[in-house]
Amino acid sequence: MPLDYVVTYRAENHYDTLVNRAVWQFLIIPEDNDSQELVSVDFENSLGVPVQHSVNGLGFTTLQLHPNVPFSDVRFRATFKVMKQEVNPFDFIPLEDPSGGYRQIESLELKAQFEPFLRVTPYTRLPDDRQELYIFDREISVFDNLLALNQWVYRHLFFQSGITHIDTTLKEVIESRQGVCQDFTHLFCGLARRNQIPVRYVSGYLHQGNGYFGDSQMHAWAEAYVPGVGWIGFDPTNDILAGSNHIKVAHGKDYGDCSPLKGVIFAPGNNRTSHSVEVTAQQAQQ
Amino acid sequence: MITTNNQIFASYQKDPTLFDEVFDAQGEVREVYEKLFELYGNHTISNYVQLNNKAKASFFNQGITFQVYGEHETKEKIFPFDLFPRIIGPAEWDHIEKGAIQRSRALNLFLWDIYHEKKIIKDGIVPLELLSSSANYLHQMFDLDPPGGIYNHISGTDIIKHADGQYYVLEDNIRCPSGVSYVVCNRTALKRALFGVFNHCQAHTVTNYAENLLEILESVKPQGVDIPNVVVITPGMYNSAYYEHSYLAKAMGVELVEGRDLFVENDFVYMKTIKGPERVDVIYRRVDDLFIDPLEFRPDSALGVPGLFAAYRKGNVCLANAPGTGVADDKAVYTYMPEIIKYYLDESPILKNVHTYHCNRPEELRYVLEHITELVVKPVDESGGYGISIGNRLSKAEIAAVKEQIKKEPRKYIAQPIMSLSVHPTYIDESESFEQRHVDLRTFTLLGKDKEFVLKGGLSRVALKKGNLVVNSSQGGGSKDTWVLKNDQGPC
Repeated sequence: MPLDYVVTYRAENHYDTLVNRAVWQFLIIPEDNDSQELVSVDFENSLGVPVQHSVNGLGFTTLQLHPNVPFSDVRFRATFKVMKQEVNPFDFIPLEDPSGGYRQIESLELKAQFEPFLRVTPYTRLPDDRQELYIFDREISVFDNLLALNQWVYRHLFFQSGITHIDTTLKEVIESRQGVCQDFTHLFCGLARRNQIPVRYVSGYLHQGNGYFGDSQMHAWAEAYVPGVGWIGFDPTNDILAGSNHIKVAHGKDYGDCSPLKGVIFAPGNNRTSHSVEVTAQQAQQ
Repeated sequence: MITTNNQIFASYQKDPTLFDEVFDAQGEVREVYEKLFELYGNHTISNYVQLNNKAKASFFNQGITFQVYGEHETKEKIFPFDLFPRIIGPAEWDHIEKGAIQRSRALNLFLWDIYHEKKIIKDGIVPLELLSSSANYLHQMFDLDPPGGIYNHISGTDIIKHADGQYYVLEDNIRCPSGVSYVVCNRTALKRALFGVFNHCQAHTVTNYAENLLEILESVKPQGVDIPNVVVITPGMYNSAYYEHSYLAKAMGVELVEGRDLFVENDFVYMKTIKGPERVDVIYRRVDDLFIDPLEFRPDSALGVPGLFAAYRKGNVCLANAPGTGVADDKAVYTYMPEIIKYYLDESPILKNVHTYHCNRPEELRYVLEHITELVVKPVDESGGYGISIGNRLSKAEIAAVKEQIKKEPRKYIAQPIMSLSVHPTYIDESESFEQRHVDLRTFTLLGKDKEFVLKGGLSRVALKKGNLVVNSSQGGGSKDTWVLKNDQGPC
């Protein structure tokens, strides 16, 4: 049965000096795909500036604001209605023969196709002395290895808000063994790519109603390429496969491709930003 | 027959191991230079010096300069200029021109492929690591169709003549190749100083570059645009090539803008004018990839335009050259140019590549180790001349060390024969006479929708230090006007 979600994204920016010109780009709209349908988008801002729909470099829809009045405080609120299909993430048949899966993974065809998602990026770089941190078992399938990795990352790190920030490297995460969903996901991406599996960093919303880890912010998880199946979502923060509680916004190589709010401010001085996200669910009435 | 009893060349010393552009192995003047040699012979060195100084002063007075970035200060210099031109005959030029177009077309097809189907990689011709290790292989360009299907609208190909008298390509520059404004200025200065001499020679014009550039840029206009509005975007007056940016805008009759002069609204690009916003359709950008849009690339860039890449992605504006072309002007990609030309065009390369030995291939590794004294060994992943070993300048101990290094990591190294650039008589201030100096040639090729153009002429760069092979202007190189003779005329 489909689920109806209402997602509310709020952000508040304060600038120390009066800003005359700015450009903001929000990457926060739920994607329209096979498992979710975007029903409505409502966007308000305290400056009353009209919103423009645009795209980011990888083709995901963005919202842009170009205010033309001076301001020092601004509030944004976006509300999305999304209908999510109830999916069983295990509802596919992985290749029986593990060696067939690895043959595909190692083929030039696949490596060339998904090259960006095999890259070592600043966020997913494993420290030199931790390259062997998690090596796949060739006796079991790629999918089973990814499931095991998902659990390993979940057990290796403790969910803790406020310890890490957007510039935290995997070296620090592995040493402190603490972090939030971005850190869990970057570690999963780094280790899976180290084992030659193409992986995308996914940014989206998590319905936390069932006691899942998140922190009232945007959530992050990973999509790995499973030979013979396609992209499968793994949420290492919660040791689950991405399912009907996960509402996808965008994917990229790492957080850098997915940051929800980018701004170019033509003014000196500092600024403070706060975000919050709320996801509420109700059974679809049909 | 004209020989060197010409007083201006009385003290000219010829090194027989080098290829001299003006004199052949017997010491006689080559056919294309005959008339010029005769005309110059009517003068003395002091006449020549006087004219050369006048030409230099005119450069300075016109502000045709470039910046040299120093440790403490930035100096404004004129590009050292020599009044004795380099001359290329019609047949020789035809070969260069065909070769330059062939390379540009092959590179364009290569770029389309590696940003779409990636066939050349899947077929195992070009290794994937070559691209994935390049910071210029932009994920943002995947499956994006640039207007007209063109990536490298403007290419600068660096060519040398080796001791065997053959032309070889050293490098393809397809990011923001500069230098074309100096070609035009050199010609202007030469014509002003030696009007009579130039009139005796039927050389092709170089001032038609700007009109051809404009035509090329207009040919890749976005869909639905009738008469496109073209602009040149510059990082600003502190950029070393600012003179060139302003020259090109002026010569094309289009606006020269900085990032702050443009803005994006609903994925269309506009220029601020006193009459209000004016839509921009084609941008000749002289700002590097990572600085063109702070929302998509480097967020700290103040040189770009927020939202420009989204406008490009939607096909509402054309950028020339396309972002991400830099992946193909890499040193490592260069070594695959013969294979790239064969793969896409099914032709043999017209202009030769300097032969490259890949140490990861066992037979080639063996050859490199056996002939190391005749080779230059270069690491594939370094730039700016770091880690290069020139075989004939190494001691025995150094040779052993280099060999060990290669054996340890053969993938990391390539080797090339030691090339010797041809030399050209060049007036040297210190000795007050003409001496042999090494020269190269940068040609300029334009590629548009159903149109291509090679500037008949180019920038002959001269290494002013004796024996030096580095011709870069930042390293104290100078330049000469380059004459390409017309077909139906006799020698000059």
